[in-house]
Amino acid sequence: MTQLAYYPGCSLHSSSELYDVQCKMVFNNLGIELKEIEDWNCCGATAAAKTNDFLAVALPARNLGLATATGLSEIVIPCSSCYSRTLVSQKTLAKDPGLRDSINAELSQKIKGDIKVSSILEILVPKARSGELAAKAVKKLDGLKPACYYGCLLTRFPIDMDVPDNVENPQGMETVLKALGAAPVDWSYKTDCCGASASVNDADQSQLLMSRIFTDAVARGANCLVATCPLCQFNVDAYQAEVGKKFGIEKQLPVYFITELIGASMGLDPVEMQVDRHFVDAMGLLKELNLL
Amino acid sequence: MSSSVLKYETAASTSLLAEVTRRSGQNLQACYQCRRCAAGCPVGEETGVTPDRLIRLIVLGDREEAVNNLLVWKCVACYTCGTRCPNNIQTARITETLKQMSKEAHAKPLTPRIADFHSAFMTSTRHLGRFNEIEALAIYETKTAIKELSQGKVKAVIDEMIGQARLALDMMKKKRLHLGVDRIKARSEVQALYEKAKGR
Repeated sequence: MTQLAYYPGCSLHSSSELYDVQCKMVFNNLGIELKEIEDWNCCGATAAAKTNDFLAVALPARNLGLATATGLSEIVIPCSSCYSRTLVSQKTLAKDPGLRDSINAELSQKIKGDIKVSSILEILVPKARSGELAAKAVKKLDGLKPACYYGCLLTRFPIDMDVPDNVENPQGMETVLKALGAAPVDWSYKTDCCGASASVNDADQSQLLMSRIFTDAVARGANCLVATCPLCQFNVDAYQAEVGKKFGIEKQLPVYFITELIGASMGLDPVEMQVDRHFVDAMGLLKELNLL
Repeated sequence: MSSSVLKYETAASTSLLAEVTRRSGQNLQACYQCRRCAAGCPVGEETGVTPDRLIRLIVLGDREEAVNNLLVWKCVACYTCGTRCPNNIQTARITETLKQMSKEAHAKPLTPRIADFHSAFMTSTRHLGRFNEIEALAIYETKTAIKELSQGKVKAVIDEMIGQARLALDMMKKKRLHLGVDRIKARSEVQALYEKAKGR
């Protein structure tokens, strides 16, 4: 078993607990043990960036200190918002030793070195390319036509930095799902914002953004959406019925976490993965495609 | 906005431009108004002011307009403008800076709901060390209801309550509503960071 440090983030400990469960199951099946870092705190997400520049860097910095203390060389962060904020904090501190010292003065586990911060795609894509993922599959994802939805924060960052995928037309999820026999559709809204941070406080705006995403995914013939970010997944799943009614989009698409599809191909139990906890039914399509 | 061109004063322009440039870390003077940012901005149609125009307002030294326009408040921080800018100007960082400046000046936010949501998020996170969906929502909804009721917006408050109750019920049915309270042990460490943030 390889060990990776793991930061679930608040969402995976509350409304998207299913994603936490699935990540552990799928990675475990790939011979990777996710070691959750001790006593981690909220990364501050979009709210910290909008309210206080210091906290936007300092909150994820404390988690970087905790991650370094594990002695592991890499930390995986499934939530795109947590991933982005943590990576931005790390890169900012590398360039600003004064700020790093000021934050370190408050921390019991200091920030030092540069532990590799990875999204789940950075772990999964090489395994898709090497054939390791396909070797673990017991079922092919035949008939699955996903619209892979990346959202904002996997490829766009507030600072200038190297991005591990194509910024405008990322291919990570497609690479993984094609390796398992799925036929992802080509579409135009894969990196458009769904307005998750505005869904409560500026609902009309966020629903307008989502309507464009649904309209294009349906028009391209997708039979589901796939996401890696729990904030996107929750938003486009929980509000899809309401948005559909408001904008006259008749077809509803299940919104899978990529781990659910990988898990289904591995023969993992969908109920154990909590696939039955979606707002738009996600069990029906798996059943239809003989993936249950 | 056209009036600010006529009222242009070097002193006002220099001080606002310097402040926003320093705090956001963005070189606003590199903007040559190509409007690639405007073309990609997902909220531009609704906000009227697009990233290029926001930069222009700042360059012209119009402090009032620069803080009080819909882009500053409705920006969803998707970072599309900055990714597409040929001069690497991340306008989403500028909207973040302007929001912070507005708060520090105790100005009334143009869209109180947006400002209050992010503030409730930070209050809950400070309290527990983690974001608690129920606590943050309770803080936000209470504050919003009191404000809007005092302005006579009874229907908006009722609609909001019905919408949230419906979502909560849906979440309960799907076992997505987490009722436990996650709090970290080292809350004092997180709170020390919040204290330090105040003095900066």
